[in-house]
Amino acid sequence: MKRSTFLKFTAPSIFVMTLLMVIPLIMAIWLGMQFMTYVNINDPQFVGLRNYIDTLKDPRFWQSFRFTALYMVIIVPAQLVIGFTIALLLDQVSRFTRGVYLSIYLLPFIIVPVVGTLMFKQLFEPSGLFSFLYQMILDDKFRYTEVSVKALIIIQGIWNVTPFALVTYFAGLQTLPAEQVEAASIDGASRWQKIRYIVLPHVRSLTIFILLISLMDAYRVFDNIFVLSEMNPIYKADTIQTYTFRTAVTVQRLGKANAMAVLTVLGIMIILIPNLIQTYRQQVEDR
Amino acid sequence: MDKVKSPIGRVFIHVILIFFAVYSLVPFFWTTLQSFKTVKDAFARTPKFIFTPTWGNYQELWLRSLPENGGQIAFFLLLALVILIGLLMFANRIPIPSGVIYFFVAIGFVLLLWGIPRLIDTAKFYDYFINTLIVTVGTVVISISIGCLAAYGLARYSGLLAVSILIAALAFRALPRLAFVLPYYSIGSATNTLDTYLLIILTLVAINQPFTIWMLRSFFMEIPKELEEAAMIDGASRLTAFRKVIIPIMWPGIISTALFSLLLAYNEFLLVRLLAQTIWTLPVAISRFTGGEDPRHLTLAAASAVSITFPIIIVILVFQKNLVKGLASGAVKG
Repeated sequence: MKRSTFLKFTAPSIFVMTLLMVIPLIMAIWLGMQFMTYVNINDPQFVGLRNYIDTLKDPRFWQSFRFTALYMVIIVPAQLVIGFTIALLLDQVSRFTRGVYLSIYLLPFIIVPVVGTLMFKQLFEPSGLFSFLYQMILDDKFRYTEVSVKALIIIQGIWNVTPFALVTYFAGLQTLPAEQVEAASIDGASRWQKIRYIVLPHVRSLTIFILLISLMDAYRVFDNIFVLSEMNPIYKADTIQTYTFRTAVTVQRLGKANAMAVLTVLGIMIILIPNLIQTYRQQVEDR
Repeated sequence: MDKVKSPIGRVFIHVILIFFAVYSLVPFFWTTLQSFKTVKDAFARTPKFIFTPTWGNYQELWLRSLPENGGQIAFFLLLALVILIGLLMFANRIPIPSGVIYFFVAIGFVLLLWGIPRLIDTAKFYDYFINTLIVTVGTVVISISIGCLAAYGLARYSGLLAVSILIAALAFRALPRLAFVLPYYSIGSATNTLDTYLLIILTLVAINQPFTIWMLRSFFMEIPKELEEAAMIDGASRLTAFRKVIIPIMWPGIISTALFSLLLAYNEFLLVRLLAQTIWTLPVAISRFTGGEDPRHLTLAAASAVSITFPIIIVILVFQKNLVKGLASGAVKG
């Protein structure tokens, strides 16, 4: 294909992405330098880097940053381990049973995140199923505290994202080289050895792929945490995203919120850039 | 892997798989149960599994008042729906060009949706449902149209520019939404387009575009170049070859991608929440019930959660194959 034809085909898409992604991102940097609320939104006042410095000095920003880090550190490995284990077990059952299990497992992933979170929350209402079981087993009332709200957010997160790792691993297991497994069986390898020396190396690149995607998704997750923490700001269960939203909507400091959003973009670059470089090399090779 | 043979091992495997299935399903099960309870039953300290089910929550959610001749209206609406779906399913067997039939079916659906609030006294939730349909359909149609053109170009052009565009798109897909959505608010405010379908649809298209072109491109790559080259030797232009030769065999890929775009638009919360004051979509509408003192919020939230999930489950059941294929094609995710 000629370069001019290529440009004609891609023009509408590039136009939309430039207009509504590249330009807004640059705008965000600029808006972060303004003192801006909803009242003076069309007439902001330039304050230089003050919003950025304010954000970096804001203890609540760092608090939400720490919770975001905790969330990522728990959710990502949990998703990988559970997803891989269930995929291995699923590989053991008959084709039909697999299909049934798989469609059940996919539900938490496909559902509207806000709705899935709300459904989860229903279990923890004072009259919910979980609260009842908690009362019955521990003989204590389930209460929202800082710890329990955070635990709730993390458990819900695992519930929501694990199917992605599961399905990806499961698809990977279907391409396992059968001869290698057979040869290992003949040589008397145990099941653990086969998993350790054949399956794990086989899914290595998939693991990196899931790891990167889930790290970035865990970093920017908003809907779930918003629903679970919206009414309870006192539980300090804000992540960077919900804290930015709160700064923009509740506190009404749009300029500072923009500065925060820009800083979070810089934060994700640490994970994103190596990933981009690797994909770039791969694409250049493949073409 | 070779299968575990010992019976104890096999039982163990199923126990874990069933346990995980229960974990996945419990919230759905419980919420559906709650949605059919009266407020009193829903608030019982000891959860009630046996109760007299009621449609009251759904009625309160969707209708402002009960129509007098409800039975007749329901019958006619159902009949209209059956006719429209029947036409869709058997479009290929009717000796009229399918395009014409699809066109009239689409008009039929629009008339039906427009007519319902004139026949029955629907509540706000119905309006939110219509908003969601408008936003979702608008986003999917525009995303896929411009996405197909771009993805085709990216699949066939091998210059470094194409790779750079793909990488930039990947980067934008990974960034936190708020970095775009907050400036959208300023753009909307400056151009006076806040709370319009136009702004919401266009911004959703932009946000979904990186994902859409990556996924469509992977499908275009599977189509051999020789196909359109043959058509071009016969004198067709590149655009004609694209329209007449490539698109007709791309349908499975387009449907898979459209399905994911549909889910992305239907699910979107943050963007609509910030940019819309009145034209809420369902995910924003339901978040109204997340707290507050009104005890009815618990059962209404349950009923709206089930109502929002229902259409998605239907869509998934119909298109399950495309969905799994899209997921398994890897490298992309909503």
